[in-house]
Amino acid sequence: MRADNALLIWIKTFPWQRTLHEWFTVDAPVLIYMAKAILAALLALWISMKLNLPDPRTAIFTVFIVMQPQSGLVFSKSYYRVLGTMAGVGMSLVIMGMFAQDPMWFIAFFALWIGLTTAAGFKYRNFQFYGFVLAGYTLCIVALPVIETPLEIFDIAVSRFSEVIVGIMSATVISDVIFPRHLLDSLIASEQERFENVLSTLCDPKAVFANFDESNPAVSRFSSGVVGLDAVRINSSFESGSDQKERQHYAHLNHEYMNLSTTFHSLKSIVAAIKENEKNQLLEALERLYRPIASALKNRPDTVLTSEDLTHLLSKLLEAKAHVQEQYEKERLLFVDQDEFTSAAYLILRLLNELHNHCSTYLSLLKHRISGLASRELSRVVRFSTHTDNVLVALAALRGSGVLLLTMLFWILTGWPYATVTITMAVVIGLLLGTLPSPLDGVKDFFKGSLIALIVAALYDFYLIPAYTSDLLTLGLLLAPTLAFIGWMTTRPKLAIFSFGFVFMFMSQCALDPYYKIDPTKFLESSLAALIGVIFGGLAYLLVNFWSCSLTQQRVAKILRAQILRVCEGKLTVERSALESTGRDLVQQFSTQGRLNMRSSRLVFEWLLATLEIGRSILTIRRSIQRLYTHYRHPHIDSALESIQHYFKTPSEASKESLMIALKETISTLRSAKRPSETVQLKRFENLIVELSLIRTILHNSTTFPIIKEDSCH
Amino acid sequence: MPLDITLAGIQMPTLLPIFVATAVIQILVDRLMSDGGIYNHVWHPGLFRTAIFVCLFTLPCLLIYR
Repeated sequence: MRADNALLIWIKTFPWQRTLHEWFTVDAPVLIYMAKAILAALLALWISMKLNLPDPRTAIFTVFIVMQPQSGLVFSKSYYRVLGTMAGVGMSLVIMGMFAQDPMWFIAFFALWIGLTTAAGFKYRNFQFYGFVLAGYTLCIVALPVIETPLEIFDIAVSRFSEVIVGIMSATVISDVIFPRHLLDSLIASEQERFENVLSTLCDPKAVFANFDESNPAVSRFSSGVVGLDAVRINSSFESGSDQKERQHYAHLNHEYMNLSTTFHSLKSIVAAIKENEKNQLLEALERLYRPIASALKNRPDTVLTSEDLTHLLSKLLEAKAHVQEQYEKERLLFVDQDEFTSAAYLILRLLNELHNHCSTYLSLLKHRISGLASRELSRVVRFSTHTDNVLVALAALRGSGVLLLTMLFWILTGWPYATVTITMAVVIGLLLGTLPSPLDGVKDFFKGSLIALIVAALYDFYLIPAYTSDLLTLGLLLAPTLAFIGWMTTRPKLAIFSFGFVFMFMSQCALDPYYKIDPTKFLESSLAALIGVIFGGLAYLLVNFWSCSLTQQRVAKILRAQILRVCEGKLTVERSALESTGRDLVQQFSTQGRLNMRSSRLVFEWLLATLEIGRSILTIRRSIQRLYTHYRHPHIDSALESIQHYFKTPSEASKESLMIALKETISTLRSAKRPSETVQLKRFENLIVELSLIRTILHNSTTFPIIKEDSCH
Repeated sequence: MPLDITLAGIQMPTLLPIFVATAVIQILVDRLMSDGGIYNHVWHPGLFRTAIFVCLFTLPCLLIYR
């Protein structure tokens, strides 16, 4: 990275520097990546030929499966590929040992395994998903080819495993040794961009107080990227020289960003409601309250923030805190006992606190990167919790097992020896493309890719390889252009699935055996079988697909309601971070899987915000009650909590009415009750009032909740 | 050491279990080195890491192919 920078600075002295600079930052990485892909593939080919492994194609195939521009991704994918292959190979030995003679049991067990791996894969994120998928797929490539001769299972198990290892080793070594690109470097860049975005959004009071504006990109972006950046952080842990402490900083930044974004959006929705009711006086008071924050952020330098700039900004934010507090005390007298003011002012204060927190963590990260001396001790480990809907999982498992049973039926009915290829292909499609937003389009791309690959493979098999190769070197030279082409395709996001289909088909049909043996009949038959497999896989997505927009909305609403209920009665050890990350992960998953349109995803996001805010308030209330002296614990509070619970359990207009009454009564009772004299106790007591009025404001003002089945799908 | 060994009834090249064992050791060593901050003082961490792995892997291999 340092060498790169020096090079870039050197280039800037040239007359045509702009062109060259662009070439270095945009085109050169692609070329380097292509060269790396060729090298890794040929290395794998060479090693497997030298070690006399029976099927070098598996090794090359593995190289292209795990090869990614950034080395962290390669390591993480490889790691899970090894684990998945081990599980798959082990399972093949078991299943062949037990049921090789008995089709019924064999098929039943096979289907169970595929269903299990699909379901487990769906439950996990990142490349862990991939490990499970591989465990299912390996069973196909190890057990099916030797179904007629079960005793060969041991040989094929060992050789497939060795080939996978050879492929993985080649890919990881090449990508980490030759011009390595680290994920952590890209992580700092995206974190920088996000941080800058936060500051520029918050420094403009309009972002908070103007009407919601779809076209304002800063506002709509202020919530994105949470799940994605966490995935990058996890994958970067496999890189050489990756730094535990730095990753911890990123985890904290991500959580703080989530909190900030929730506070920001809640504040915005309350302000919007105030605006709608035309309470101009209140609005102006809130704007005055916000002004110190905006002015603290206003005069920052345009360039990327250095640690000095940030230290300056932090001291300004501290000043702003004092100002806001002062202003709050002043305005409070004007709006005595107004819930909307209490909650909006509380949110502004919280926003400022969280912003201060976020900035100091970011400063600590910068200092850590420069000198290794973090200014902030991050002791708490934050976990990014995820939530996967069981219906989604069950659907995926059903699809996986279903496609297997269907192709098995095809095999039994036709008695075609190459039907095993069909089964393998269909299972791969059924497993791997399931997490895509639109799997059917993916299957189409895959089909196109495999068709093209068949033509190229035929050219190699029947013309190029027999005519021009005499040894490994010439074979490598001949293969290089195609390998480079594949490498180039994998850098284009649009061609991802197309290139996957291409690699899959090319690697299974190209004559890369230790000794040239190819026969046209076999080539044609197995290609046909594979294409039929792709079609079967596509059929599975077409048939097992009753997932629709309104169903997604129902599920999301149900899960979010369940979360509130859990917060009401569950353990108090739930952290806000867990609540936040679960909710966001859930919504992210549903928006890729559940076909939400723009309007309904906006709706779901609003539901999420309401849930997060109410859930967090309930947790705070419950904690405050626990720490409050007994004689200050009003029975009203418990009954208010109960009516919240009741409302979210059996939502109806009547229960909402009674909930609002209960909340109002509780708040007014607390406001008129005797306050504790101790400062700590008083603070807890006032917290109760603030949180209760926040819940009331949200319930009162929000136009939508995860309760009423709204039809925004059409 | 022999060229092939039999593990639980499966005959395989001795290189394979050695490889797996080395991989486990490598992961531990890597964790230690990255926590100890050794990679900050190395010019090319990836190359360094690969070299360490090669050393660890080839040492027992020398015993086989002596």
